[in-house]
Amino acid sequence: MGWLRNNAEPLFEASARPRPALVLSGRAAWGRRLAALAGRALLGGVASVSLLAVLFIFVFVGRDAWPFFRSRGVVEFLTSVRWYPVADPPEFGCLPMFMGTALVTLGAMAVAVPVGLAAAVGLSDILPFGARQALKPVVEILAAIPSVAYGFFALVVLAPALQRNGGRCLAAAWWAVAAPLLLLGAVVLSDVLSGWLPSARARAAARWTLGLGLAAAALWGVARVGAALAAVQLPSGTNALNVSFVLGLMALPTVVSVSEDALQAVGRELREGSYALGATRAETLCRAVIPAASSGLGAAVILGMMRAIGETMVVWMASGNAAQIPRPWYNILQPVRTLTATIAGDMGEADHVTGSDRYHVLFAMGLSLLAIAFLCNAASEAVVRRQRRRLRGA
Amino acid sequence: MRAATRRLLDRAFTAVSLLAVAALAAALLLLLGPIVTRGAGAFVFRGTVEHRRLLREQFGRGDPQAVARDVAAAAAARRPVYELLARFQAELDAADAATRRKYRAPLRELQEALHTLFGAPPAEGQALLLRNRYGATRWDQAQAALRGVLYTEEWDYSDPTRLGAKRLAPRAEQFRGTTLEPLFSLLEREARAMLRPRWTCYARFLTDRSLDAHFFGGIGPEALGTLYLAVGAMLFAVPFGLIAAIYLAEFAGEGRLVGLLRMCISTLAGVPSIVFGLFGLAFFIHTLRVSSSKSVLAGALTLAVMILPTVIRAAEEALRAVPPTYKEAALSLGASRWHTVLSVVLPAALPGVLTGIVISLGRAAGETAPIIFTAAVSMGPALKPWETLSQPTPALSWNIYNLTTEHEAVERIRHVQFGMIFTLVALVLLLNAAALWLRARVSRKLRG
Repeated sequence: MGWLRNNAEPLFEASARPRPALVLSGRAAWGRRLAALAGRALLGGVASVSLLAVLFIFVFVGRDAWPFFRSRGVVEFLTSVRWYPVADPPEFGCLPMFMGTALVTLGAMAVAVPVGLAAAVGLSDILPFGARQALKPVVEILAAIPSVAYGFFALVVLAPALQRNGGRCLAAAWWAVAAPLLLLGAVVLSDVLSGWLPSARARAAARWTLGLGLAAAALWGVARVGAALAAVQLPSGTNALNVSFVLGLMALPTVVSVSEDALQAVGRELREGSYALGATRAETLCRAVIPAASSGLGAAVILGMMRAIGETMVVWMASGNAAQIPRPWYNILQPVRTLTATIAGDMGEADHVTGSDRYHVLFAMGLSLLAIAFLCNAASEAVVRRQRRRLRGA
Repeated sequence: MRAATRRLLDRAFTAVSLLAVAALAAALLLLLGPIVTRGAGAFVFRGTVEHRRLLREQFGRGDPQAVARDVAAAAAARRPVYELLARFQAELDAADAATRRKYRAPLRELQEALHTLFGAPPAEGQALLLRNRYGATRWDQAQAALRGVLYTEEWDYSDPTRLGAKRLAPRAEQFRGTTLEPLFSLLEREARAMLRPRWTCYARFLTDRSLDAHFFGGIGPEALGTLYLAVGAMLFAVPFGLIAAIYLAEFAGEGRLVGLLRMCISTLAGVPSIVFGLFGLAFFIHTLRVSSSKSVLAGALTLAVMILPTVIRAAEEALRAVPPTYKEAALSLGASRWHTVLSVVLPAALPGVLTGIVISLGRAAGETAPIIFTAAVSMGPALKPWETLSQPTPALSWNIYNLTTEHEAVERIRHVQFGMIFTLVALVLLLNAAALWLRARVSRKLRG
């Protein structure tokens, strides 16, 4: 699954392979050596095309963003909520787009991180080898499906379904997630709380009463919230919720494959040590393996986030494209608009007015995206480097 | 904590993990299910007589006599409908002004609904736009159009706390007691005879040009455009990517410059795809001027920059997977390092490299954002190979967006949208399947 990863070199190498050294004999012709050197330089030159590409992307996107910042400054761009590019005088407040991007990214992560990490644990530690091999293509296919297909799904399949049964979908999802977790919490809590009692009989009695009480309370709470959610009506299916869900699906393969690699890289010794101390599989993973792999898992989350931030088609098609900050800001049932969708959607209208602020503001947004992506990438690399150092030290 | 609770927690943990894996598979099914089932419907469906008439008249396909018989039979079945209409019209002309006013709007609506179902009425002569000339070409569309004839839609806003609810009311109510009343039961009864649906395999959907802005016809220009863009991108990306991979895997050490290069490659992989579009517009079109405006060439170059890191990474991985013993054997026989790389390492890594190329090809074919500003147009003819240097092209990915959001009759051309997405996804999945097969072969071979 290496091609999914965002790093050129293998993320985690068990041991460095010795590099075979070839010593040319003294009699080897100088010409040959020179030719080899020249060839190597040529190869290096061609290889640095990617370096040039990165440089050029920054330079050329920056060059077209510069006129906007020169004429309008940065303050309006980053802090104003008024986006009226065609008004007279125009206003270019991009805060709603930054907020929209942040909101759908958060929403996507809320889907992709728990499911992705759990699936990675399942793939790396729980399923037998055969099942893992059979399921890997599923992850690869999810990653390979073009983004416009996800966007189409969000707009044509998911949006009408949400509009029709939005409240019921929300309530069902809430029940499925909250009820088992809270019941489990009630059991564990009652066990922990009754642990200090002296006699076994008192402990059992306290455990049962506490457990039943807590479970009843939890179910009551879940039912109350569920009923409130079921009553929700969505005026439109194209909103931040829809986009968050689909972006979460899109980020899943990245999160799963990178975190699975990280979990695998932890090695057997740690797991076996933990089992030898009598830990269950859950305890081994939660207390030993996942902390040891935490940096790799962090990198997985960052890479998944980058996919969500940079995605264009899904948000353009299904986010509703309303340049407003939802009220309250976390209300994902309202339509939003993201940076990427604004660039894609406004360029058609702005293209024939090349040279205007309306055109250059899109490059300013592109530059912001580029800066965000660069920072995320640097962060994930730093995190991975730390992990590698730590594993080598351990 | 008691052992029982610990066991319960352990079981719950296992269950959550397995459920998450199952959720992955379910997500894939949820996504692919509608795309595959409804997408296949663009190729295999119950075509009506209108479909066969269209193919005959616009593409010259089908047996002329059989189609003529078909059309005549359908026209004979439809004749009572038009006779009823004509009689009602005559009665109306003779009636008083109040009656005329009462039936004017409902009659026009009815005629429009019938027009969507059957196409232009025989009395009207040839319509200018193809969409008005032919009726419903697909039986599913015909059934929807028939519902449009039989029922009128009403919105119920009586409950202010809920969104408006749609309600269907029989259209016959509007014409109760008139000559037109039997028309509706006749239509309901005889719809099959009037449209003659028959299972059709329209494989040429993939290569036919579209007629009248995708109301009819196929997706040929789009499929060809996607092919041009993806293959063009590979033409640029593969040589550069392969050389870079050879350099990184075989010649580069661990120096600071190489570290910078690797960082650049991973940065490039993380750049949002829409930014590549901006870059392509600013650099390839406005600065280098590879073409005066959008063109396949500019789009392919932009896509090439985008997939470069994928190609490099896959090729480097394949090169590094070649067992060092191969290289050591070649070197010990006195081959130079260059010779070793070119004649031993590269051939051994070739299937792996191909895997990477095939996957990148799929990625280039599926991308939309980079080609919006550099190559894609909504409408256009299929290009000749030499025209790709200067002409923009329609492409599957872009036109899926365009047809689902900006087309004037989004609902009516759903089958085209699903057909396009099906084609694109099938292309990408086939490429990935090929890659999987290649990879399986490689690992078998390297294992010996």
